Parts: sequence; structure tokens; C-alpha cells
Amino acid sequence: MTSDEQHGPSVPARESPIRQGSQTAAPTDPAGMDRRGVLRVGMTAAMAVGSVALGLALHERDGSKQTRALPTIKDHRADKPAGATDMAIVRGPDPAANVRRAVEALGGMGRFVRRGERVVIKPNIGWNRTPEQAANTNPDVVAEVVRLVVAAGAGKVWLTDASVNTPEQCFARSGIEKAAKAAGATVVRPDASAFREVNVSGKLLRTGDVLFPVVDADRVINIPIVKQHGLSLASMALKNWYGVLGGQRVKLHQNIHLSIIDLAAMVKPTLTILDATRILLANGPTGGSLSDVKQMDTIAAGTDEVALDAFGATLLSLNPTDVGFIVEGMKAGLGTPQWRNLKTVELGG
Amino acid sequence: MRILIFVTLALIPPAFIGWMVQQGLRAPALAAEPAGKARPSGAEADKTLLALFQGDLGGAKVKDKVTLYDEKGLFDYIDGAAPIFIQRHYRKLATADMASADGADIDCAIYDMAEPANADSIFNAEKSTTAKPVTDFPDAISGPMSFVFRAGRYYVKMTAFDKKAEAALPGLAKALKGKMK
Repeated sequence: MTSDEQHGPSVPARESPIRQGSQTAAPTDPAGMDRRGVLRVGMTAAMAVGSVALGLALHERDGSKQTRALPTIKDHRADKPAGATDMAIVRGPDPAANVRRAVEALGGMGRFVRRGERVVIKPNIGWNRTPEQAANTNPDVVAEVVRLVVAAGAGKVWLTDASVNTPEQCFARSGIEKAAKAAGATVVRPDASAFREVNVSGKLLRTGDVLFPVVDADRVINIPIVKQHGLSLASMALKNWYGVLGGQRVKLHQNIHLSIIDLAAMVKPTLTILDATRILLANGPTGGSLSDVKQMDTIAAGTDEVALDAFGATLLSLNPTDVGFIVEGMKAGLGTPQWRNLKTVELGG
Repeated sequence: MRILIFVTLALIPPAFIGWMVQQGLRAPALAAEPAGKARPSGAEADKTLLALFQGDLGGAKVKDKVTLYDEKGLFDYIDGAAPIFIQRHYRKLATADMASADGADIDCAIYDMAEPANADSIFNAEKSTTAKPVTDFPDAISGPMSFVFRAGRYYVKMTAFDKKAEAALPGLAKALKGKMK
């Protein structure tokens, strides 16, 4: 038996970078300074000004103004046809049929994907869990979305996620890799070469290493599962964007609601399909016990992630306005928690 | 030429200071260390934790290696569930992929919570309302595909992925608990 130790990131000390040096004698009478004294004072002042200027300049490199060198993720949203449905909720025993009916109610996949476009599909494949344990997106739901995108004429269909547990285990145990490949997707596992540094330009996150298909794709389809989450109360559409980032996760949790919104504002997906076939009611996001799982046989689809998350929150018996990232998402203009005020279609039951 | 050298040398300190400022501003704020009782000493406690995976494990065995996670690393294993452990003075997690005697996969996670009271607290906090107590095994609950118990300062979560592995969980739990006395 061997053992490995996993530590958090090494964090630079926050102590003042300016060390106290030996004191130099200041001239008591500036008017009486000689030329060398004036030069010395002048150079000291210049160095001080230079220090501040350079410090600020380098600070800006890490700030929101640092948008020069790194790529920015494009806006993936599609135009909404006049009179189109905003949100569809479908209930029934067959997950794939629920997906088809929901997308059809929104106007069909052709509303979102044009022939030849490159599409990335982003389920939750974060955990070494089976579909029955409801920590990952249902593989039948994922496969049906892939089939619809392929049928719409997409030139390329990637499927990816930055798993929390070992990716090989997550992609296999979830059943998603096998199902997605069979349906026609190219599966991109989150190895080191799969990430590209981009500008996030968020309130908390300035830059980040993002899975390359999300950077390169013309269209992005989000397929989260609905589950309870120990820190953010729920994990659904907006939270699912944690799974496009590489690196250690501890920094994201310092202000989880704002970092969720930073990432959601960065991606702006084309379509979101919320998987509530089975939902995890407790001990999320990891789960494990089937005692915590509830069969809901529900799919919700739409373009407003805040509205979809508000609907998902109700499945977890949460008041949407008690969920911090839903409120922050509304404030950031990403959507409305008043999903009933949208043009919504409900089918099945 | 002398002016050029002078200007170059003069720029080194501000550039260094600027770099330090940048590094400082990029550093994420860390959660404050909880003020708990005296914690078990690190190396010795780690050794004890790792030893739980050695010897008789009720027919199960570690497939590859045991991995330890400290407070910051815990987010990389359980993501947003980490804070509820850290708030309860969590010390370290040891986790391993295991195989039952007939080769079924088991996920085993042993949390060293530093004090029995902390282990009791997290056990009660995570207790599923629909999971069942286990006969002749105090402080344990089992649900389909899951067996969870606490013993001393340890909180143990075992997950199965099929019926064969599920059947092996009580034996593994009994063996682990025996080592925790």
C-alpha cells in the first residue's frame, strides 16, 4: 500500500513586501542642500513614484483590465424567434423522451444549433458515482442531447467536464462517456492539455484555465443535474460552470455565490437542459446513499439559467430567493427567478 | 551609458515591489483556523490514520493507494461539502479505492475529526433521514449502496456501486471499527 498527500495550493504570504531598511539622514534644511543632495532626493522620489506606478501597473495585469493578451469566451446565446417558448418542463418515465419533448417545445434543436457549428455539451461528471446515486447528470439525458445536436447538423460535438474525483472513474462510472460516444460525441477528459487560460473578467475571478471546447465552440449546451449542495444549498445550471475550470477548488469557495455568477456570466450558454430525472436531496454534492435520492422523472429546458435554477430549487423544497447565487444571478442580469412569468410550457405528468 | 545603467538599476526595486504587490493581491483569502482543542500531532495522527487500511479488512483490500487530504485539499475531493467538515475541526481525510473479496469496487473515506465530539457532530449533521440504524453497530447507518459510522474521532463513509459491494460493506466496517479502539 502506498499513500499520497494532497495539499491545497501554496499561497504567497500577505505580509508587506516592503522591508524596513536602515535609516538615512534627511537634510534638515532643504534650501541648503548641495547638488548631490538634490539629486539624491530627486532619485528617491522618482523611485518611490516608479514603485507605485509599477505596482499599480502590475496589479492591473491581474485585474479586470487585463483583457489584452488572453482570449475571452464568446457569447454563445442564440437569437430568440418571435413568440418562442422560454422554458419547457416535461414529466414522464423516459428521460430521453422527456428531453426530446422539451427541446421540441422550445422550437427544436435547430433554433439553437446551425449546420456545421461546433457544439460543446457540458453535463455534470464530477463524481465517481453511478447514475442511480444522482450525483452526475443522467447518461440517457446526455445521450439524447448529443443525438439531437448531431441531427441538427453540428460539425463537431464535444462533451467535457472537469471532474472533482478521478476523471477516468467519473467518466466511466457515470455511464456518460460510453453513452455520449455511442451517440456521436467526442469526449474530452480534463487532462492538463485540455485547458486554456482565458479572461473571466468577473468580480472575483479575473482569469482562469478553462476547458478548450468551451473556448472554441460556437454553441454551448449546459446539462446539469439538480442536487443539494452543502455550501451553496443547491447545484444546478449556474453552479455547473465550476466544471469548466481547472486548478484547485478551494479558492472558488471563498465566496461561492459570486464565483458561480462570475463563471456563468463568462459562458452565456446557448441552451440549458436541467436534469431532474433523479435528484439528490441531501449530502450533496457527493451523495452516495440511495436513501438521499428521489426519482422525479422531470426535465426542464430553456435559455434562462436563473429561471431554470429557480424551478430546480423548488424541487429541492427551497425558496429560490433563499439561494444566494440565484439572487446574485438576477442582480447580474443573467435571468429571472420568476420562471412562471416567462412563456413556459408544461407537458406530461 | 552610465545613465542607462543607473536607470536600469533604479527600475529593479520598483519592478520587484510591483511583482510582490501583484502576488499578494492574487493570494486567495484562507478560512480562519477553527479554535478547537489541542489537535492530535500531525505525523503521528497521519500514521495512525494510514494504519487503519492495513491488515485484516474483512476480506476487502486497497486496490492501489491511500490518499490523504488536508483542509485545503479536501475541496478537491468533496468540493462544496468541505466547509461543514472544516467547521467541525476536521483534521485529515484518508481515502482509498477498495475491492471486496469478490472484486467489487468500494469507495472508502475515513475522516479524522480530531475529537470524538467532532465526529459525532458530523455524523449527526450528515445523517440521512431515511437511512436505517444498523443492528448491533452503534453510531452507524446504512442506506442502499452506503454504510456510514463513527468510532472515536473517526467518521467513516463507505460507498458501493453494486449489490456485491454493498454486501461487503458491513464486514469492512466491522474490521475498521476494530482498529479504531
